[in-house]
Amino acid sequence: MLIVFAALFLLLLAAPVMAGILRILRPAAAWGDAVSAVITVMALASGLAATIGMWLSGIPLTLDATRFSPFVFQLSIDRLGGFFLFLVCAVSIPAVVYSLPYTGNHYGNAQRTCYWVLLPLFLLSMVLVVTGASVFAFFLGWELMTLLSTALIVLEGDSGERRRSIFIYLLMMHAGAALVISAFLLFSPYVPGLDFASIRAAGALLPGSLKAAIFLLAFIGFGTKAGIIPLHLWLPKAHPIAPTPVSALMSAVMLKTAVYAFLRFVFDFLGGGPEWGGYLVLGAGAISCVLGILYAMFETDLKRLLAYSSVENIGIIYLGIGASLICVKAGEPAVGGLALLAAVIHCLNHAIFKSLLFLGSGAVHHRTHTFNMNEMGGLHRRMPVTALLFLIGCVSIAGLPLFSGFVGEWLAFQGFLGGAQLAAATPQVVLPLMAGVLALTGGLGAACFVNVYGSIFLGRPRTPAPEAAYTDEVPRSMLASLAVLGSACVLIGLVPVVVIRPLWPLIQALVPGADYGIVSPISGGISKAAVVVVMVAASTVLVRSALRRSAIWACGLSGLTSRMEYTASAFSKPIRTVFAAVYKPERKLEVLPTEQPYFPNAISYRSRRTTSYEQMLYRPLFDSLMNVAQQFRRLQTGNIQLYLLYIFLALLSMLLLMRFR
Amino acid sequence: MTAVKLLQFVVLLASAPLARGIIARLKAILQRRSGASVLRPYYDLWKLFHKEEIVPASASWLFRAGPRLAFALTVTAAAVVPVLCGSGLLSFSGDFILLIYLLAFARFLMMLGALDPGSSFGGMGASREAMVSALAEGPLLLSLIAVAILAKSGNLAGVVAWTTGQNFFDISAVHVLALTALIFVVLAEAGRMPVDNPTTHLELTMIHEAMVLEYSGPSLAFIEWAHALKLNLLIALIIALFAPWGIAAQTGMIALLLAAVIYVVKLFLALLAVAVLESVVAKLRMYVVPEFLGIASALAILAIVFTVILKR
Repeated sequence: MLIVFAALFLLLLAAPVMAGILRILRPAAAWGDAVSAVITVMALASGLAATIGMWLSGIPLTLDATRFSPFVFQLSIDRLGGFFLFLVCAVSIPAVVYSLPYTGNHYGNAQRTCYWVLLPLFLLSMVLVVTGASVFAFFLGWELMTLLSTALIVLEGDSGERRRSIFIYLLMMHAGAALVISAFLLFSPYVPGLDFASIRAAGALLPGSLKAAIFLLAFIGFGTKAGIIPLHLWLPKAHPIAPTPVSALMSAVMLKTAVYAFLRFVFDFLGGGPEWGGYLVLGAGAISCVLGILYAMFETDLKRLLAYSSVENIGIIYLGIGASLICVKAGEPAVGGLALLAAVIHCLNHAIFKSLLFLGSGAVHHRTHTFNMNEMGGLHRRMPVTALLFLIGCVSIAGLPLFSGFVGEWLAFQGFLGGAQLAAATPQVVLPLMAGVLALTGGLGAACFVNVYGSIFLGRPRTPAPEAAYTDEVPRSMLASLAVLGSACVLIGLVPVVVIRPLWPLIQALVPGADYGIVSPISGGISKAAVVVVMVAASTVLVRSALRRSAIWACGLSGLTSRMEYTASAFSKPIRTVFAAVYKPERKLEVLPTEQPYFPNAISYRSRRTTSYEQMLYRPLFDSLMNVAQQFRRLQTGNIQLYLLYIFLALLSMLLLMRFR
Repeated sequence: MTAVKLLQFVVLLASAPLARGIIARLKAILQRRSGASVLRPYYDLWKLFHKEEIVPASASWLFRAGPRLAFALTVTAAAVVPVLCGSGLLSFSGDFILLIYLLAFARFLMMLGALDPGSSFGGMGASREAMVSALAEGPLLLSLIAVAILAKSGNLAGVVAWTTGQNFFDISAVHVLALTALIFVVLAEAGRMPVDNPTTHLELTMIHEAMVLEYSGPSLAFIEWAHALKLNLLIALIIALFAPWGIAAQTGMIALLLAAVIYVVKLFLALLAVAVLESVVAKLRMYVVPEFLGIASALAILAIVFTVILKR
């Protein structure tokens, strides 16, 4: 097993080397990329094999590379890391396969080589994060993950607006990383070697205030990477501008590494965190999921919409983690286990359906060359298979039963309901109310993704498009990646036991005392209902009738043009109006010519969200920081005598300090 | 017992058009019209099932599959509801949550079907339905959860058993609040007044009718049946949660007959209430509907808060 585990790293290192060498030796060959892709997929497959082997045996796999490194450098797969390693490897394979036709179409030779050098390294960095068992290994992966994803974004272009987004991405990631480092450093007086095993052992002995400080640092530090509101600023900027397969990886997998690290800190190192910790996580989750989906609703750019929906889903995951922390603290590990199971399953499901949707959006872009939903429409005729697979993704992400998204939400609801039976009054009120928050999110999510599917694939083309009497599907390898992800959504949705049962050892490892007894009756219910649905749906086929194709009803008039169709913006208008307080929209309606408002030649309408975290939160923070910095500038006069005085004063104060200590 | 559960499921399914017919007839009487027969919806379904189906040229397979799947999902939701005996055909932990989401999925498909042909009406109806349903989901779930918390049970059968054991006059504030919220939401979900007017065909006001404007023949029949079934099952759900007394505890023939008679009386009262309400209130303006559902949400939140206060 250890050899398979080592093969994961070696192959991921070999892939970029091969890509580089082949480009030098055979500059004109097109199969160079394929070689790199095959090696990457082999690496990921060996990662899967190592995880499954570890999972079945239950014994952690550990690789110690300390002797090749100046610091303690350990890599290991335990239950928690193993689950996330599985997630990284399983979801990356379709993205890698999809990358082949993508790079073939989008990039020139040089860019292509860069992509195939960077992509395996980016995957390697994520693998390092989830398998790193010492601070150095973890942090190496954590930093490389940021830098390599940035490099992949730059590959797509570096115009002015993109540079700004990349800058914000890097800035926030490093601010987050600084907090994460501080969290680790707080451990260092107790754990000199900074390997995870000793940190775990020391975690229980830490004083309470230090534990609280570490919890808070980890919450903000990893929350920045996970994209909880208001730390999500970078997410809708960085995700949409990356190459599509990388967007999929960033949303589906990279965000989950932050969830992994947070779980590692809170459950593994700190054993639950402070009393208020659960409520903090729950609150962040509630805000992120409701606001995330509302912001998604406002977008008409498909990739930005999907990025905001990632914020929503991270919110749902945090709701589960928060509920679990509260229940465990209150001495109800059975319910705590259920809530954590909900969070973990939603991690897996979100990774699957979000990469399906991102890759699907790439397939749409492949044919339409736009991400603006208001310009699309009627694509089901041109790309029927993509449409079907995209629909599966939409239904899953909307959290509807018989598809995967529902499983995690259903478990979360049961966890919230179980929370009502806790002894203390606060969780008794707070946890059931979170069910309302989740239901509101679900309702808005369904509305949002009806809009997405409806405006892209249904209706009639909203802009002149090649007349679609023929199908115009994307390449087979793209469809294959989508199909694999789509079938996973359906399988998990219909038979949730296939993920609940294998994941249970992980829950037991994190929440001692978790009880499978309350989970097992839940998992069967969906499958029973699915049988009834399929039976009834099949019997409706018995009703047959004559069929006639005709034009749509236009109140008896002729010439209903596609400009009279509802657009994505028009669809979301009622919800945007109801939640105007969230958006504070600035609307601009222009009717031309102005002298005859009732017989216009042209009407233009624009609506812009004016609430922005940049303006409301980050700008004032940044400005006050700059103000403080300005004050400090007075110390810097450029006068050498003054600097000598500073040195003298510093020396004096040090001596005094030493004398009177 | 399984036979009884199957029977109640079939009765719920088959009586749905009748319930609709009764409401229409009661409304007619209240408005001093003679009105159509209560069996009218059955004749309509029969007629629609035998008609030719007209499909817009621009529609995809989803246009015809949507209503059929939505029908199947609504029927499955009906299988969860206890009517004559204390448990539905499908009963498991968290079944009422699944019920809500099966209905949500059916609505999701109907909205897609409405957007499919690319007509302005379909988009308008779907867009409005999206708003109403997004806001209705929270209070619907919260009010059911409030009752489930009181009963300390995660499934409908448990809640029904607990409520049957209670005295009617021990009714709590939670029940009053949750029931009020639930009635508000059911009116919105089933597309009744004051949220949506089921008899209108005016663009300014229609929601559900705008969504189904392009449908005809068997597809329309499935939609109408599912829509009627939805109202029927939601009323049955309210009866089971808030007034289950008289539900058959044993499987005996007499107990069952008695339960059926009591249920029919309760159902008739509920239908009468809907008919009276629809005759006396006017439809709300589109953007007052969120306030209407906001009141429902506030009531449902209060219901949850009261579950804790009652325990003290």
